[in-house]
Amino acid sequence: MAKNIHEIRDAVHVFARLDSDERKILDSRAFQRLRHIHQLALTYLVYPGATHRRFEHSLGVMELAERVFRIITADENLDDRVREVVPSGDQLAYWRRVLRMAALCHDLGHLPFSHAAEKKLLPEGRTHESLTVDLVNSDEMERIWSKVTPPLRSEDIAKLAVGPKELKHHDFSEWERILAEVIVGDSFGVDRMDYLLRDSLHAGVVYGKFDQYRLIDTLRILPETDEESAAPVLGIESGGLESAEGLLLARYFMYSQVYLHHVRRACDFHSQDFLLSMYPDRLPTNIDDFLALTDNEVLVELRRAVADSSHPGHDAADRIVNRRQFRVLYERNPQDAEKNPEAGEAVYYAACEKFGKQNFRHDRYSQGGSATDFPVKTRDGRIVPSLAVSDVLKKLPLVNVDLVFVAPELRDQAQKWLSENRDEIISQVAEDEP
Amino acid sequence: MKRLQRAATLVSLVESLRENGSWCGETSIQKASFFLQELTGVPLGFEFVLYKYGPYSFDLTDELTALRADSILTLETPDPKYGPSYLPGKMSGFVLERFPKTVNRHKAQVDFVAERLGRKGVAELERLATALYVQLGSTGRSSLKSRAGNLTRLKPHISKADAEQAAREVDKMRAEAKQLFGQ
Repeated sequence: MAKNIHEIRDAVHVFARLDSDERKILDSRAFQRLRHIHQLALTYLVYPGATHRRFEHSLGVMELAERVFRIITADENLDDRVREVVPSGDQLAYWRRVLRMAALCHDLGHLPFSHAAEKKLLPEGRTHESLTVDLVNSDEMERIWSKVTPPLRSEDIAKLAVGPKELKHHDFSEWERILAEVIVGDSFGVDRMDYLLRDSLHAGVVYGKFDQYRLIDTLRILPETDEESAAPVLGIESGGLESAEGLLLARYFMYSQVYLHHVRRACDFHSQDFLLSMYPDRLPTNIDDFLALTDNEVLVELRRAVADSSHPGHDAADRIVNRRQFRVLYERNPQDAEKNPEAGEAVYYAACEKFGKQNFRHDRYSQGGSATDFPVKTRDGRIVPSLAVSDVLKKLPLVNVDLVFVAPELRDQAQKWLSENRDEIISQVAEDEP
Repeated sequence: MKRLQRAATLVSLVESLRENGSWCGETSIQKASFFLQELTGVPLGFEFVLYKYGPYSFDLTDELTALRADSILTLETPDPKYGPSYLPGKMSGFVLERFPKTVNRHKAQVDFVAERLGRKGVAELERLATALYVQLGSTGRSSLKSRAGNLTRLKPHISKADAEQAAREVDKMRAEAKQLFGQ
């Protein structure tokens, strides 16, 4: 008899287990493509071990989604105030299957080098999430959804895979919203849990580790507040608060140390320039052309471009391959931020005017979402906001990056100019309009 | 509106909401911003969709967190019963001083919204904001009863009587806003 459960060795979770229907997704063109998309783009130029791919991350997300689903739907863990939101019987089994498939598929639409060039490479209004939705709804995948047991609706999978933030004009039931939160939620999404653990392991840093076992065991569906009209959301029992703090601290440190590392960010600018040279009319978004494009094709072209000075992407490729990436000219500090919250922008525009736009890049990233705000169920059954009971979360810094990069050949000159004019430049705030 | 101009407008809104008795949690700011943009025409540039407690902007949530990162707003939890509350941060004075024209241009609209919504609780804000959402999506001269019906369809936990009351209150606010701001 053919084997129905398949185990795949995993560096983080030991095994990722999937059944024969899920194996069909694994073997699809769209999923196999993820073997060739680096999880962290060119971060391996800074952390050499960070060469892992979205393929294994997606398996890890499915494994974690299963664990969270079992905990939050277990009868003994259901809070009476929100119990009715959870379906039962066949419906519960259907949604478990949808959740696992959505977890598996949540990253299908990633471009080469992941996020590095997404905004500039895709047509207006398109994102990797919208490409994920297209792929989940494609004829090729639809044939798989219709043949699994029970047949699955592709729109259900797409909704859970990308969530309400990306499908703004779709109606989500409370249950669908909670399941989407299990995958892409700001506080406890398993996408984030897996990438923190996995990226940390491969990068060789400890910042991304947290007590995933305790955290998942204490996750609950809870009313958002003690008010009668409060919506059900993912929250935590008070005994898991420290593990939730650990997760959010891990996120802060990983952003500071790995995802926003200045060399990686400089290389993101160059890879963006390079991809734009390959696709001046933007990236193809039809399914066949999109699936044919991975990091491999781009890396081959990158090496070709380095050797050919007439290649339109030669300069960008040379900067990446020969370590001539832009260097940090300016990093906003708290004193500058008090003079101008957009100090980096002021330095960038002044530098462009003085030395030419092609020699500078401005990197501004502010954390969004509201990850630190979630309900906590106390031992006596009350619902309290996390920020009221956690001094750690109250004091957790927000990731806030404001950097200006300069071409290395101009660095000394630009630094001298900046040190001579720093106060005057930073004080330049955009004009108020009449 | 540029980012710091919008920041100045949001600080002005937070100040006015607090002066008008609001706890100033995120739901209050979300609903007040929805009214400010859609009812009085202040071009904040946020996209609102129907979500957990009525109209909601994911971009605004991101913006509020980014403003905290820049110390323009701050978040405190003085009473666990009511959840976190937004206050002007130590850099709020900077944006108010640098963008006085922007703040003054929208001051009347900000106060109009804050005076009418400041003392409302989360449940009432959900009803009113959803009533406005329904009204903005209605074509032609749809009756109050029909709009209240749409509201209860979108939010089944809202009673018919509460829905009609919310639709009536929004009609009144809309008429006032039209008279004052031409919206």
